[in-house]
Amino acid sequence: MNNPITVWVGAIMTLTILSYLIKDNIFYRLAQKAAMGIGVGITVVLTWQQVLQPYWWAHIQGAFSHKEHWLNALWLLALIPGAMWYCQMSKKWFWLSTPIIGLFVGVAAGLAFKGQILLMLPQLPATLKPLNPWVLDGGPTHANILFCLNNLVFLIALFTTLLYFCFTIKADNRLFRLPMKVGRLAIMVALGAMFGSTVMTRMAFLIERIQFLAQFFSEQISALAKLVTGG
Amino acid sequence: MTTTMLRLLSMLYHLNPRWLYLAITVVLIIPLVVTLPMSTNVSSCGPQGLYDTAGSCPADKVILIDSSWDLGAKPECMSQLECFVNDLCRRKIKFVVFSTSLYAPTFANDVIKPIAQTNGYVYGTDWVNLGFIQPPAGNMGVLIQSFCENIHATRPIDVDGTAVASLPLMQSVRTAKDIHMVMAINYCPWQEWISFGKGQFGLPIAFGCASIMGPYFYVFVDSDQLCGLLAGNRGAYEYESLTGMRGMGSKVMMAFAFGMCFIIAAVLIGNVGFWASMRLRRMP
Repeated sequence: MNNPITVWVGAIMTLTILSYLIKDNIFYRLAQKAAMGIGVGITVVLTWQQVLQPYWWAHIQGAFSHKEHWLNALWLLALIPGAMWYCQMSKKWFWLSTPIIGLFVGVAAGLAFKGQILLMLPQLPATLKPLNPWVLDGGPTHANILFCLNNLVFLIALFTTLLYFCFTIKADNRLFRLPMKVGRLAIMVALGAMFGSTVMTRMAFLIERIQFLAQFFSEQISALAKLVTGG
Repeated sequence: MTTTMLRLLSMLYHLNPRWLYLAITVVLIIPLVVTLPMSTNVSSCGPQGLYDTAGSCPADKVILIDSSWDLGAKPECMSQLECFVNDLCRRKIKFVVFSTSLYAPTFANDVIKPIAQTNGYVYGTDWVNLGFIQPPAGNMGVLIQSFCENIHATRPIDVDGTAVASLPLMQSVRTAKDIHMVMAINYCPWQEWISFGKGQFGLPIAFGCASIMGPYFYVFVDSDQLCGLLAGNRGAYEYESLTGMRGMGSKVMMAFAFGMCFIIAAVLIGNVGFWASMRLRRMP
């Protein structure tokens, strides 16, 4: 971002957006709407440049400019299933959109099923962890004992959390009351960790903007100082 | 505790949030002026696993980088891509980049090009940017299967429109067998890399994600489905500690430390204020 105009626009937009922290104002709303409009505009252009032009239009152009590639004209047929999506907008022609939606849902569901099995199945053997430091390489060393204790904490959290979600067991059951409480505690700890991570992500965004503004103002001040001193 | 004291403390609970905004701005500016020594311990197993796996890349293979982050994830993912590419260039490992987000290729190029130039990496011979690849029907699983079976057919041109087959590096990179590992960097990387890339094609997978996604992906490191994980700027900072090269991750970590201390202090103060206001309410 070395272009001075880009830097100035970036700084003004950042300050405009941050002005919301003081009070909702017209400049903030203008910046918000401008960002949305620019986003849509860029997406339209990039979709043409990166997807439709190279993957679809280039083939059709090739069919008309080179007779040996005439079969590529069949790419025009892609317009038919594409147009079928838009039939959702009409009550009269809605039925035409259902085959294409069904096709996409079927493909997505099949892949999601396969994907979830490949994703989640390896998690099961991963829960089988050693709890006995004597069976590990090196015996009961300090590191191995800590490793086994870590595994024990993991297993307690795993089973008590699973138990907490067994809604067929009454919460006031004497046998399961304590494990369920431990499960709830484990969930709270996990949620706390996630909340901490959320704060870190939001903080990263703020730090990036503040550092950008700090650099911007320091550059402007040094440029102004040079101008005043004639340096 | 006297009523006056409780009233003063309860004011903390009703503090105008604008004061907090101002305070955090000041707190985050301080590290730009003051530099303090920081710990360089790599506490989590994620960065170490990535560092070791990347380092074992044979000369006849490449590392595939799925750099699909754009403006919305720039503050965290940019530092991750920078430190990883820096390390690859230092170790003379060749790499291929692609994106599944429309805006991402420009951001990836902005980070990689200066690093490649500094390290004498030649485009087309040492690294390639395939640009944006649209997941068919919006499904990443289809794209990964297609990509791993035939890269040239899945993406026949690179980011500049040059035929992939004409690039020297891509002559020997055609299927998943020519890829050593995959590093996916995004706010929330596609978990299909784990299911299809690792599960079906056996590729070692590593993720670079936003801090917020860290707790979700750490379980996959534990089950060895991910060989490494960089969670947020902290992940980038730890990776930089391993390589010994200071970059964007190190630059922001001081501000992070200050910011997090401030948040902890604000939570404590807010709770004290809440406690005091509750006590006041219960008083006769």
